[in-house]
Amino acid sequence: MEVDGEKSDVEREEEDEESVTDVLKDRFRLSAIPIAEEEAKRNGMEISAPIVACIVDLAFKYTENLAKDLELFAQHAGRKSVNTEDVILSAHRNEHLAATLRSFCEELKAKEPQSERKRKKGSKKDDKATTSVVDISDL
Amino acid sequence: MDKKTFDPDLIHAIFKQIWTKRAKERERNQSIDAVDAEVGACTSKKGRSTSANANALKLSSELLQIFISEAVQRAATIAEAEGGREIEATHVERILPQLLLDF
Repeated sequence: MEVDGEKSDVEREEEDEESVTDVLKDRFRLSAIPIAEEEAKRNGMEISAPIVACIVDLAFKYTENLAKDLELFAQHAGRKSVNTEDVILSAHRNEHLAATLRSFCEELKAKEPQSERKRKKGSKKDDKATTSVVDISDL
Repeated sequence: MDKKTFDPDLIHAIFKQIWTKRAKERERNQSIDAVDAEVGACTSKKGRSTSANANALKLSSELLQIFISEAVQRAATIAEAEGGREIEATHVERILPQLLLDF
């Protein structure tokens, strides 16, 4: 189906996509690194930059997988738009996590019951008790 | 304490990029893969990719923030049990399998 000219177009497109991915990855790193460092500080631990980078890259991969999962869940439900139920469903293997997400979702709904589509930011700074530990079995 | 989170717009940008990529792939494979074509036909008309609502994006940001916090926290627990003051690669390696199973 692909003609030579078309193929080079496709290749160029892929290159563009790659550079967009790189920019997104860098932006993701910028927000993720402080999260990891803060969490280490809260636990009274030092953490070196390469380890943080490793965890952040892992989180980015996880984000990509999450995007695919959410899309499939929404499609399976016959929707074109991902909603909160899909996100909660993506955590179905971990009951505790699903419960945490569900309560966070209720909070969001309670905050803006009538204007769900309007995106409001900057007003959510409450300290939620979401940093709960899930048991580590091998200790 | 001010809790750091992701910007939902950034998460949206990442999701959107993946969804557009997949929508394009679907379109390209439509004639090759009959099953994919069927899925693509009913869900994405002419490259229409998936979208997400604002609360779903906020919830995803929260999920990712929990993911990173959990990774660091679990590694810190292991490091502490070994009497160290610094999280090392081996600690992350040890928590990795269970972390991936839990998320």
